[in-house]
Amino acid sequence: MLRVLNVRFWLPLLLVAGTLLIAPLFRSSQPPLQSHTLALLLCGTAALSAYLFAVIAQPEKF
Amino acid sequence: MTSSTRVLFPRMPRGPRHDRRYLERPRQQGLVQRAVTEAFRKLDPRLAVANPVMFVVWCGTVLCLALTLDPRLLDAQAGARERGFNALISLTLLATLLFANFAEALAEGRGKAQADALRRTQARTQARRQMPDGSIELVDSSVLRKGDVVLVQGGDVIPADGEVTAGVASVDESAITGESAPVLKEAGSDVAGSVTGGTRILSDQLTLRISADPGKGFIDRMIALVEGAERSKTPNEIALTVLLAVLTQVFLIAVVTLPPVADVLGQAPSVVTLVALLVALIPTTIGGLLSAIGIAGMDRVAQFNVIATSGRAVEACGDINTLVLDKTGTITLGNRLAEEFMPVGGHTTAELAEVALAASCFDQTPEGRSIVRLAEKFGAALPFTAEQATGIEFSARTRMSGTDTPDGIEFRKGAVDAIKGFVRSRTGTVPAELDACFEKVSRLGGTPLAVCRGNEVVGVIYLKDIIKPGIRERFDQLRRMGIRTVMLTGDNPITAGVIAREAGVDDFIAEATPEDKIAVIQQEQKLGKLVAMTGDGSNDAPALAQANVGVAMNSGTQAAKEAANMVDLDSDPTKLIDIVTIGKQLLITRGALTTFSIANDIAKYFAILPALFAGVGLEALNVMRLASPQSAILSAMVFNALIIPALVPLALKGVQFRPMSADQLLRRNLLVYGAGGVVAPFIGIKVIDLAIGALRLI
Repeated sequence: MLRVLNVRFWLPLLLVAGTLLIAPLFRSSQPPLQSHTLALLLCGTAALSAYLFAVIAQPEKF
Repeated sequence: MTSSTRVLFPRMPRGPRHDRRYLERPRQQGLVQRAVTEAFRKLDPRLAVANPVMFVVWCGTVLCLALTLDPRLLDAQAGARERGFNALISLTLLATLLFANFAEALAEGRGKAQADALRRTQARTQARRQMPDGSIELVDSSVLRKGDVVLVQGGDVIPADGEVTAGVASVDESAITGESAPVLKEAGSDVAGSVTGGTRILSDQLTLRISADPGKGFIDRMIALVEGAERSKTPNEIALTVLLAVLTQVFLIAVVTLPPVADVLGQAPSVVTLVALLVALIPTTIGGLLSAIGIAGMDRVAQFNVIATSGRAVEACGDINTLVLDKTGTITLGNRLAEEFMPVGGHTTAELAEVALAASCFDQTPEGRSIVRLAEKFGAALPFTAEQATGIEFSARTRMSGTDTPDGIEFRKGAVDAIKGFVRSRTGTVPAELDACFEKVSRLGGTPLAVCRGNEVVGVIYLKDIIKPGIRERFDQLRRMGIRTVMLTGDNPITAGVIAREAGVDDFIAEATPEDKIAVIQQEQKLGKLVAMTGDGSNDAPALAQANVGVAMNSGTQAAKEAANMVDLDSDPTKLIDIVTIGKQLLITRGALTTFSIANDIAKYFAILPALFAGVGLEALNVMRLASPQSAILSAMVFNALIIPALVPLALKGVQFRPMSADQLLRRNLLVYGAGGVVAPFIGIKVIDLAIGALRLI
């Protein structure tokens, strides 16, 4: 359970899952490589933001 | 406070404190090499994630490196022209990360080098363990457990921390304290009854009861502490981490919303430019130096030969409002000396000298010996054979000591009230001049000791207290810092009042008992104040535990050391004032660099925003007249990276401390580090921009 709550566990998971989920949204306007990278960039930014919220919520754990 | 540890031999002359560090200064060259290696190791994302600001930089660096390798990752139209610029920004970001890691590794390395110095004192040794049937077996020191009884004799290394249960011996503690003079250890003594593993017994023999399991002894705890193994974030660091994370979050959201705005304005900033803007805006300077400042604070305390149990304790020193100080040893020199004899009841000075000598001939305290010396100056001689007499030791209950002769004469010296009671209990009368003498000595700031022979008061001895040179100035400094000082003494209120006035303390408690210490601390804490105190005896342990900062003397008992959150290896109670100064310096350094870091952002706005929105009317913001948008961004990034190593010495050494109030400090910091933080990047970025132009990097 503790492992699931750990940022090192959910951050990469969020990145991969998010990229795979939203990449098709960019397919219409971008070539495949760019659509996946763009999806990864957006998910990465969201994950980074979630990580910063986690730091704000539990600063003593970082 | 209990009496100080007796020393067998005269002490060696003591040099300046910085020359007596037992924690040797690590060699700078090896330290830097190790820090460089560590800086690269800390690029591991599993370690980088612990620092939110620098982790954002880490993510930006990875993104920029990816866009350097393939500039078309996000934009199919991008060409090789962007690759060079991306590479320069990536390298600058990587340098920012490495510099921040280097600062932390350098601070950690100093602690590790000190731990190595301590570890060298921890040689494994053989111990003679006493078995329950009384037999002795030779065992390795690592198998000794708490409660085991061991015998040590001249030349042995003491195998583990313990309490002396039998014997008297001199012990060389220089491995721990750096003090070359041996100290006497004996059973039944409060202060001299504990020994530390790793020290060496020089003569005689001791029986010890081991007080700590392997790995949990005093040196083990010191190693763990200076190595930073037990370092957890202090409340102040946690608060600052939250602030930095909030700022980073705000700037991240702001930067993410920029592309749509730029799109409306007909601009399309590249991802690398946006990463550069984000890194320039977030407080990377303080983010990179935050843990180095904390570790360096612990290190500075250790260099004063003080071991703090946590960074929290060092930081708490910076917030201390009240110092509770023992008079003897802290405010006055430890030993009071007999200055004058004041006879009463028609007795002569020669008579008083003889009675004082008789009452003091078994008294081995410095005060007792000074009375003997003064009496001998008056030509006094013992009126009995010392071998046939019995010494009466001082006790807190009777408050007097003396000698009983074989023919039944009782010589006593002690507190005036105690002697009055003693004389009256033997149907004697108290001469009227006694109170006058008592008051006269007290008003001089001395300690009056009444002397009697049986039921007859003979006079008063004036014991002179010597106030430590410079202590008044130290208290003045503390007052300017808003710290209140309270002196505790067993002296009567008149003497205590005179010494308090002379020393310049704010308050005093006379005729204080150990319980009074806790009462004073609790009273101050109820008013919301943080209290610091020193102590060395077992009876100080509850007060040391109650105080926000409790500093135990290394010469003190195990109980005192366990209860305190700092241990002074030099056993110098005056050092509490230095420790408070270090705590303040730590907080001021952190505040100053945070101010500087946030103020830095202003110049970076003026560098990056006009570059980002070139062509939409924001050129007027280019007040630095930077050569090109790309040069402006690169200059800001290079400055952002270089400012970290430039501030490493300040972070490790600490901002110079000047005693002043919190308001004055805030004004000064805002002026020096706030205004300096605004101006310095304007100059720095312009110079770097010129250098980039001259080198034709872009």
